[in-house]
Amino acid sequence: MVWSLGLLAAILLPLFPLSWAFNRLLTSLPGGWSQALAVIVLPQAGLELLRFSHIAHHVPPSWRLYGGLWAVFSSLLYAFRAITAREVGIWTRLLVSSGLALAWLAWLSGAPLATVQVFALAFCVPAALLFLLTAALTRRMGGAYLGLQGGLVVALPRLSASLVVTALALLGTPLFPAFFVLWRSFGQLPLAWVPLLMPLPLLWGWATGRFFQDLLYGDFRGEPMTDLGRMTSALIGLVLFASLFLNLFGGGFGA
Amino acid sequence: MITMDAFAVSVPFLPVLSALLILAFFRRSQPLAARTSVTFMSLAFFGAAVLLVHYLLSGQAHVLDFGGSWGTIWLDPLSLVLWTFISGISLIVHIYSVRYMVEEPGYGRFFALLDLMTAVILFMVAAADLITLVVAWFLVGVILYFLLGHDHRRPAAGRYAFWTQITYRFGDLPLWFAALILIRSYHSISLPVIFAQIQSHPGLQIWGLPITEVTGVLLALAAFSRSAQFLLHTWLPYTMDGPTPVSALMHAGIVNAGGFLFNRFAPLFEHAGMALHLAFAVGLVTAVTGSALMLIQNDIKRSLGYSTMGQMGFMVMECGLGAFPLAVFHLIAHGFFKASLFLGSGNVIGDARRHDGVPPDPIYTSVVERRPAKPSRLPWLVAASLTVLVPMVVIGLSHFFVAERLFYEQGVVVLLFFGWVTGAQALFAAHKMSQQDPWRLMMGILVSFVVVVIGYTLISHYFAHFLYPSLKESQGLFQAASIRALSFDALVFLLAAIFVGGWALTFFADSLELGNHLGRRGRALYLMFYALLSRELYVADVYAYLSQVLLRWSRWLNVWLGWC
Repeated sequence: MVWSLGLLAAILLPLFPLSWAFNRLLTSLPGGWSQALAVIVLPQAGLELLRFSHIAHHVPPSWRLYGGLWAVFSSLLYAFRAITAREVGIWTRLLVSSGLALAWLAWLSGAPLATVQVFALAFCVPAALLFLLTAALTRRMGGAYLGLQGGLVVALPRLSASLVVTALALLGTPLFPAFFVLWRSFGQLPLAWVPLLMPLPLLWGWATGRFFQDLLYGDFRGEPMTDLGRMTSALIGLVLFASLFLNLFGGGFGA
Repeated sequence: MITMDAFAVSVPFLPVLSALLILAFFRRSQPLAARTSVTFMSLAFFGAAVLLVHYLLSGQAHVLDFGGSWGTIWLDPLSLVLWTFISGISLIVHIYSVRYMVEEPGYGRFFALLDLMTAVILFMVAAADLITLVVAWFLVGVILYFLLGHDHRRPAAGRYAFWTQITYRFGDLPLWFAALILIRSYHSISLPVIFAQIQSHPGLQIWGLPITEVTGVLLALAAFSRSAQFLLHTWLPYTMDGPTPVSALMHAGIVNAGGFLFNRFAPLFEHAGMALHLAFAVGLVTAVTGSALMLIQNDIKRSLGYSTMGQMGFMVMECGLGAFPLAVFHLIAHGFFKASLFLGSGNVIGDARRHDGVPPDPIYTSVVERRPAKPSRLPWLVAASLTVLVPMVVIGLSHFFVAERLFYEQGVVVLLFFGWVTGAQALFAAHKMSQQDPWRLMMGILVSFVVVVIGYTLISHYFAHFLYPSLKESQGLFQAASIRALSFDALVFLLAAIFVGGWALTFFADSLELGNHLGRRGRALYLMFYALLSRELYVADVYAYLSQVLLRWSRWLNVWLGWC
């Protein structure tokens, strides 16, 4: 029973290869709102399952080591795959899977569950916003595939700016919470683990660079489109600012 | 003191405030955006200058702590000098951009980014804790990406901005690792506390190696990526696709981060001899490669880019020799010099377009076109003696009178050697110019040379004393950079042989017209070497190939796993 719950948790809080089911589930959900809700709720549900099953007491120390190594591999694998994703939804799924795999590492290294929950939220909130923005892009262009149509920033300045800032928040750019939770979890691991994790920010940076290249640069030659509303973009900005503010002054790493 | 502290806090926050005001209210109003940005930048510069003067009068360095676990500011000579320098350069770039960027789209956004970049650099150089340093170091890369890719219409701008960003990210990682090791080993994020502990426990180890050596090498790697050292240099010449003011700011300020990092961690490098030796070797290779690549460029901005690479190599080499304050002096001097060249490069290009052909000019003919200049009327032996002996005497005497003890430091000897070679090279190039009165020309050159050398020696000496008032610290750095006497002698002989060989080759290649006597194999070898340099040693090609391989694997994995 305990191990079944553990396996279910590895689907909800994605860990390769069970993360395949998590990604499949997100793809099958209709609309941005459902995907946004799912990406916030499912990992938290996975963490609740870990709490409920008391699986932490059953994991032998050697399993913790191998589990941690597997989590690092899972995170690196998804980050590596994200560098060639050009569809915004797929890109977001792969990167949030990469980030959330590290929540397993934090949990296995003995971090309190509340800390791991905050860790997961730091990645899930920007991912949820990106799913909403993906839906907005799909409504305007018929798909959210980047690279076919360059220079979207000219046609959709507010939507592009929102995508850029949210992507930066997802990928652990200071001063967003993902950076600090990542930094804190790196700091709590034995130092020998750090070199294993070092390629991760590099791969995230690579994925971001290609994403921005496809989104921002080039001549836009398509039909005129309606940009994101002022209120919507302001709301997205507000959510990101609130997460930043809470992180810095509300008991996060910076307090 | 409280007023001065509040004043100090305002310096890095003024550009932040300016950026926020522009983004919130003045994005669409060009005059207001420019006025706000220039005004706030002027205030920041004024504030930095006042703080520097205040320090000169009071002589007290201290840390500003705002009560949080990070975000502390260190008001010490290094940060105050760099605050004044950076805000000064940034102010010049701001004023230049007011007209230069007026026809570009995103005028307000450009000024906001310029402000943010300045603020982040100000925070970086004054960071008194490792978290602030890591955060600011990281953000420099992010903001620079958007500044370099300001013109969205040009995919090349985005591509080169991406190269810069990924190299910077590569350099972030060793800094993160070094910071984590230091925090875990010394149980503090505060740099002054860590440095004090290093002084009292320099022998602490990690994985059987001294912590100072391990972190020293990591910090050196981080510095290499920011200062475009060999193998991590490919981004620098291509960033010319960004707006000219950004090139100026980058080449005058941002690229100097490597020299800053060495100086900030000087107390650590006192116990990290291996890291300093590595810095010397990498800096030397970079200086030679950058200068060689600069010589074969036919584009002024690309040429300036490689010139920066050579200068950065020299700066890192100075750190590797233990001459840390000289590296700061070098970065400031180079910053002003390179900023003026970049900001003037547009005029040079404009002139070249307006005037068909280059005006006849003896310096241009001998230095750029490499056509044999008219022979000097000075006797050969006199010219050779003046060229070789005068720099040696002038440089030697000026250092002897300023600080005799410097002659006992290996690093200084190597630097003096380079100074002698450079001086001789300058005199040699100058004496070849044709002139009615060659004695008058030579005397003019010699007087200028003496003034420059004495000025440089005096200023750099007093500047070094300002940055490192403790003689023990500066001697400790030279000691850490020292090697065994036998190895040092061998190194000096090797360098001397390379330089003398190079001179001899240049001289005989000209006088004996060696080019005409090259056999087929010799010519093929020459062409191969030229191709190697013109393809910039294939470093960027290798990176591009490797990244294509990785992208292919990533795509294959995604297809295999159904993009899930």
